[in-house]
Amino acid sequence: MAAIVRISSLCHRGVKPLFHRSSLLLRPLGVQQKDQDRPYQLTARIHGSPSLYSGSGSKAASLHWTGERVVSVMLLALGPAAYYIPGPAIDYSLAAAITLHSHWGIGQVLTDYIHGESKIKVANACLFLLSTVTFAGLCYFNHNDVGICKAVALLWSK
Amino acid sequence: MSLTRQGTCLSRSQFGVLYRHAVPMGTTAKEEMNKFWAKNNKLNRPMSPHVTVYKWSVPMMMSISHRGTGLGLSAGVSAFALLALVLPGSYPYYLDLIHSQSFGPALIGLAKFGIAFPLSYHTFNGIRHLCWDSGKGFKIPEVYGSGYTVIVLTVLTTIAAVAYKGAA
Repeated sequence: MAAIVRISSLCHRGVKPLFHRSSLLLRPLGVQQKDQDRPYQLTARIHGSPSLYSGSGSKAASLHWTGERVVSVMLLALGPAAYYIPGPAIDYSLAAAITLHSHWGIGQVLTDYIHGESKIKVANACLFLLSTVTFAGLCYFNHNDVGICKAVALLWSK
Repeated sequence: MSLTRQGTCLSRSQFGVLYRHAVPMGTTAKEEMNKFWAKNNKLNRPMSPHVTVYKWSVPMMMSISHRGTGLGLSAGVSAFALLALVLPGSYPYYLDLIHSQSFGPALIGLAKFGIAFPLSYHTFNGIRHLCWDSGKGFKIPEVYGSGYTVIVLTVLTTIAAVAYKGAA
């Protein structure tokens, strides 16, 4: 989050107060005051809680982050599961988890490197298309062919 | 937005923070980000070369490798899914077809390596990432230590995976 802190506060108090999160959430107005004005001290500590934000927005980003970690952990669990209890349940779970993990991962890459309203929209649309086709293909393979677990086992038996 | 010098009264404060005319921030991170890019693109500023001038470190290389292996694995999965939709024959059919060629076993070995190496690196480094997400392991010696552990585990796992031959 962008923060603007008065240079004088750095000079007088050092860098330490910058690490108080509350101090980073305020933006000083551009009004110039005479030096004779006595500065007043804010006795109430302003905390970073969302309720104090005007127009703070939704929790979507935070939930997305958590969702990404949850899917990652599930994928970790599916590895040994695929080895010890292969079958359709694991096959479809893998298809879903891999596709979602990939989709969100590539989404982060696009966010990092692509800028500009329309370019971002196009890139995300293409990604959505790719992920849909990938998931469809994997499900088709699970249904009409040997399935993911068996496919890996077969490759490793040759 | 100007930064003004203040009087000497500031040095007297011992606790809390002194502000003069402050308001809570009304923009989101996304808005700030877009403003940053709009401004810098408009000014036609060159992008920092960083990768060409900054000294590469192990953590840097491991980080981009994590991204690279992730992208590579995704590409592989998508390619596999597309082939499954498009090709007429079954998987065992094509596998036996490749295996029966003269270059077959070598290609199959290459496929095993091509899956095992990026998958194990991405998995082990992914666990390292999850540790960071839980707040642990940020000290520099820890970063390097966990990094080398990931590399060693990756090499060992890949060797074991390529050498292993199961019974279908």
